[in-house]
Amino acid sequence: MTELKTRYPGIYITSYYIGNIVLGTATLMVIPLLTSLLLKEWNPALDFAISISVSVIVGCMMVILGRRTRKSETPLEWKYGFIIAALSWLVLMCLCSLPYLLSGHSKSLIDGCFDVMSGFTTTGLVLTQDLDHLSAGLNMWRHILTFVGGQGMVVLALSFMSKHTGSAYKLYCGEAKDIKLLPNVKYTARIIWKISMIYLVAGTITLWICGMFIGLSPLSAFFHGLYIFESAWSTGGFAPNSQNMMYYHSFAYEVITIIFFILGSFNFGLHYAVWQGERKELVRNIETRSFALTSILLCALAAVKLTKLGVYSDAVSVFRRVIYNVLSAHTTTGFGNVYARQFANDWGDFGIFVMVIAMLIGGSACSTAGGFKGLRVGIVFKGFNSDIKKVLSPERNIRVTKYHHIKNYVLEDTFVKSSALIIICYIVLFSVNVLIGTFCGYSLADSAFEAASVSGNVGLSIGVTSDNMPPIMKIQYILSMYLGRFEFVSAFALFGNIGGRIGKLCIKR
Amino acid sequence: MHKTIRRFLLSALFSAVLVVSAGAEENVQISNLIDSAEDFDGCSVAVEGEAIGEILERGQYSWVNISDGTNAIGIWIKTSDAKTIAYFGDYKHIGDTVRIIGVFSKECREHGGEADIHCISIEIVRRGYTMNENVPYSKAVSSVILLFCAWLAAYICHKKVNSSERTD
Repeated sequence: MTELKTRYPGIYITSYYIGNIVLGTATLMVIPLLTSLLLKEWNPALDFAISISVSVIVGCMMVILGRRTRKSETPLEWKYGFIIAALSWLVLMCLCSLPYLLSGHSKSLIDGCFDVMSGFTTTGLVLTQDLDHLSAGLNMWRHILTFVGGQGMVVLALSFMSKHTGSAYKLYCGEAKDIKLLPNVKYTARIIWKISMIYLVAGTITLWICGMFIGLSPLSAFFHGLYIFESAWSTGGFAPNSQNMMYYHSFAYEVITIIFFILGSFNFGLHYAVWQGERKELVRNIETRSFALTSILLCALAAVKLTKLGVYSDAVSVFRRVIYNVLSAHTTTGFGNVYARQFANDWGDFGIFVMVIAMLIGGSACSTAGGFKGLRVGIVFKGFNSDIKKVLSPERNIRVTKYHHIKNYVLEDTFVKSSALIIICYIVLFSVNVLIGTFCGYSLADSAFEAASVSGNVGLSIGVTSDNMPPIMKIQYILSMYLGRFEFVSAFALFGNIGGRIGKLCIKR
Repeated sequence: MHKTIRRFLLSALFSAVLVVSAGAEENVQISNLIDSAEDFDGCSVAVEGEAIGEILERGQYSWVNISDGTNAIGIWIKTSDAKTIAYFGDYKHIGDTVRIIGVFSKECREHGGEADIHCISIEIVRRGYTMNENVPYSKAVSSVILLFCAWLAAYICHKKVNSSERTD
């Protein structure tokens, strides 16, 4: 045992941290449990009691195994930060799918894991059966998953745990968040949660009031308001009913969700800067500029084409059906107010292509959104622009290109290179998904739409995602959502580590 | 006077023919309606499905969402007609199964381009009901046992972590 500890210290370190994250998630399950008890939903209450118990047992065993890590004075190595973040999501995916499986609304373990990963990664694709008869407890759980997943499971755990600030920062970066709002990462995590919780209260109240105006009963309006806000803010796209946003038949409800999902797609650093009184940041930031430019362009292209095709004939229809869906795709939210097959039948190849581009670009870095991220698109565009200017200007001139993202940065080749590399990774992932989709018999347009939705963690569907989908596609989509959310680095670190260990074992034998 | 009676009889006959022909209309699945929206646009269609969620009252008219298992669609219906629906499907209820005859719009101009049905007539095919929630005995017992195990695990974990700190 002692030899094992010295030879494989990583196992104990990861076990300790993941155990704590699992215990944190078990605590979260108390919210849907209480919801079920309050609404006298006895079966879901028992489902959550069982899930909490199993999670606590697993979490405690992991903490016991790695308990010596607690007193360790050496900060966590970078690789462990990435591995813990990536592995904890896989462990949580299995544990959090328990309520789905016990409820009988998931047909298989893969379907349950698919929905949990879709929630965690704020994708919003659904394989859960019979959404319209889901208990309030399970609905609460789905939306909590997407809300917490947007901020980050590790970020949540960091707000309460971790003795070492150095270790905490590595875990934080492992979850594809790298912005430091305050010098201490623990306080940065808390600020992220504070911002989200303030918006949660404001957003839920706004949607609650609007819900009552559009005909929902007060209790129902409250739950719908809470769920829809959680989904909008985390750019998730889950909704409590199978019709998604079409259930409400309300322009006002749609406008409110647009505001919140755009806000949710902005960088937490930007929110913090604006809260600190730096309102100019909104217009100076490279991400907001990039988002504004691409949104206007894509919305205009889709609106002009669909009006020309005669799909939508008046301004209100164009705003509600075209602009809404393009913005939902661009912010990687995935709220939809047209039927999945309408994209395929009415929008045409051009409309689908615009949606694919919007979904792949995505929202801002260090936000709840997915996709390439506006920051990377902006940096690559500036880098490209600067290279052209260099070629055209006299050789003696030294040109320095700057960009503004919370503060001013000099555009270095390494930034451009790393941004381009991540964009290439997304394109490769997208291509693999298209390849598998077409291999399984779906049309190129359908495969491309769904592939962009999955790779960019969006959640809009053209009708490919269903429980009848081949298992290979379900697994590939789970993997894609996971890779997309982690922006590849942590997941690659985990796979690399596992591959390395297997390789070593094979060589020894 | 004769003319008025003749007009009245003619219009009654015409209405009766309309009602009979509407009643004879075959049900269309909602997914087929969406897939072939172009063909059904502006036509009178019949759909049958479970009323889900709740009535969304908007004055004299309301929205009722119905689901037939293939998909769900919004029905724009007179509030007085909507109130004949007693049960709406949710976790605790199976909603009334209703048969709606109405005009389908692929892009309804009145409702911001939504694909919807404006109801002409509603028929309650089957009444819904409140579901009895049966809690399986095995589930209740296993949850109690697991809760005890979880408490035990938490207790051991607390002890072990504290003792390892003290020994070091």
